[in-house]
Amino acid sequence: MKNLISLSAMCCALATSAFAQEKTLTISTYSFAQDAYKAALYDPFEAICDCNLVIETGNSVERMSKIEANAADPVIDMAVISSQDALALSRKDLLSPLDLAQLSNHSKLYPAAQDPIGGNMAVGYTFYASSIVYRTDLVEINSWADLLDDKLAGNVSLPNITGTQGPLTLMMLNKAAGNEGTDFTSVISDIGTHADDIVTFYSRSSELAQLMNQEEVIAAPVGRFAWSRFKSSPLPFAWAEPKEGQAGGMNVMIMTKGNGNEELAHMFMNYWLSTEVQTRVAEALIDSPANSEVVVSDEVADNLTYGADLINSLSILSPADIIVNREAWVEQWNTEVIR
Amino acid sequence: MFSSTREGLALALPAAIFALLLFILPVGILLSEAFQSDDGWTLKGYIDFFSKPLNQKVFLRTLKLGVLVAGTAAIIGYAAAFSITNLSPKARGRVFGLVILPLMISPVARTYAWIVILGRTGIVNDTIVGLGLSDTPIRLLFTETAVFLGLLQLFMPLMIISLLSAMENIPRDVIPAARVLGANWFQVFFKVILPLTKEGLVVGGTLVFTGALTAYITPAILGGSKVLMLETLLYQRVNVANDFVSASVIAMILIVMSFTANLLLKRIATARK
Repeated sequence: MKNLISLSAMCCALATSAFAQEKTLTISTYSFAQDAYKAALYDPFEAICDCNLVIETGNSVERMSKIEANAADPVIDMAVISSQDALALSRKDLLSPLDLAQLSNHSKLYPAAQDPIGGNMAVGYTFYASSIVYRTDLVEINSWADLLDDKLAGNVSLPNITGTQGPLTLMMLNKAAGNEGTDFTSVISDIGTHADDIVTFYSRSSELAQLMNQEEVIAAPVGRFAWSRFKSSPLPFAWAEPKEGQAGGMNVMIMTKGNGNEELAHMFMNYWLSTEVQTRVAEALIDSPANSEVVVSDEVADNLTYGADLINSLSILSPADIIVNREAWVEQWNTEVIR
Repeated sequence: MFSSTREGLALALPAAIFALLLFILPVGILLSEAFQSDDGWTLKGYIDFFSKPLNQKVFLRTLKLGVLVAGTAAIIGYAAAFSITNLSPKARGRVFGLVILPLMISPVARTYAWIVILGRTGIVNDTIVGLGLSDTPIRLLFTETAVFLGLLQLFMPLMIISLLSAMENIPRDVIPAARVLGANWFQVFFKVILPLTKEGLVVGGTLVFTGALTAYITPAILGGSKVLMLETLLYQRVNVANDFVSASVIAMILIVMSFTANLLLKRIATARK
């Protein structure tokens, strides 16, 4: 009998241990810099959580489709995504609000990152500035309006309307034309008029970096996260500081509704938002920090969207405005620009 | 060859099941989405697609480039195939190897080579500026010309191989006989070579036209978003807009275009009998 009890206890212990080992958190993320994320974030977290992380990567549309298709029985526990995509998922009732009591690092975030889409449905983990990269030996950029100036005709590239940089560029060109708000009708028409002067409408920052390094393009708007691709080039590239300022955006963390893994998801998010991890991620030049307590060297800061002054100065397009207007922008873009 | 039809069918069965389950069925399900709406079966997806000016232009551009690539490949292919058939067996083998060599290289690598060639600092622009034909480099990338050249280079070997195979079956004394009887080279081509190689032209034309219609990498890299073709538009509808209905419509249009091209070429070939 005693042996039987011992055997049962041992089986229970093994089963518990096995269960603990099998704790799994499935996260959905962008596919870039995964090796760097593994070293700075995934491996250290697995070492302390006694769990396995399953990383699913892909573009935003693929990942959002997967979340939507599996709404009844989520296969993704948490995801990182743009703020407008997060709002779109939230409006489809696919997200669960975050429990701030489980996010002790939440108060350390810049105010704009604390509740970017309302209802605590998301939390910002990185900011990015967006401005114009240009060849200092060939052109001078002082304004967003310079992108459509004759001096750049045939040498400029713009982001496609369907990417995250597209609407930001429209917003800044609209500002440069003296307009405010999200009625970009005249700006899109203006781009349409200059369509033959634009080399191409790029979709990925890597594509733009290739074009600029091959001297096909000498100026283009791009996110700061891609700056390192240009900074290391033998060609003289500079980051413009246009008089209208820089645009900005934010990527956020979200948690799917009813995933059953909420505790571990909160633990992971809190770890990612900690000063320690945000500093490590920033120093690896992966993402700019949303944690206001992060301190990095000037050299590192130069590659990032860093510091309260810069972040507070960014012109950020509201996710709600993007969702409401995107279809009309794309429609007009396809008619007048792509043609 | 087989002792009974049943044996032949049994041998074909695994391939037929494979094609049915892993190709026809999933593609059929996907394409049926283009005919469905909340109210049942409909052609609304097609009407919506063709009602947009951008889609009309993309459709016509795809058709135009497909025809131009297939036509140009046929013209160059006939010249190449004719000269190869007149080589010695040893030289023919070597040249044939050179013709099929590009097929062993990834289309991505072959297309990227065009970026180097057609770029502002590429060979073509260096030559143009060097010869004083233009003061500044001219825009070649992200144009229809770039996509045309890329597709032509990509699919030309298929046309040459098809025509070569057909041309090798022409009896060697037929062309000299036509010449002796007073036919000029124009007449020799249209009255002798073309009728005797029409099957090769149908195969080559279908392969090149269909390939040009459905290639994605080359239009995406050399044309970008300024020279949209149906296949790049299809990718955009799925990966940017998550719009599978439009994507299914485009896929169906591509299939119909491919089959129509094949039927049309066969009809033309038959009509010349």
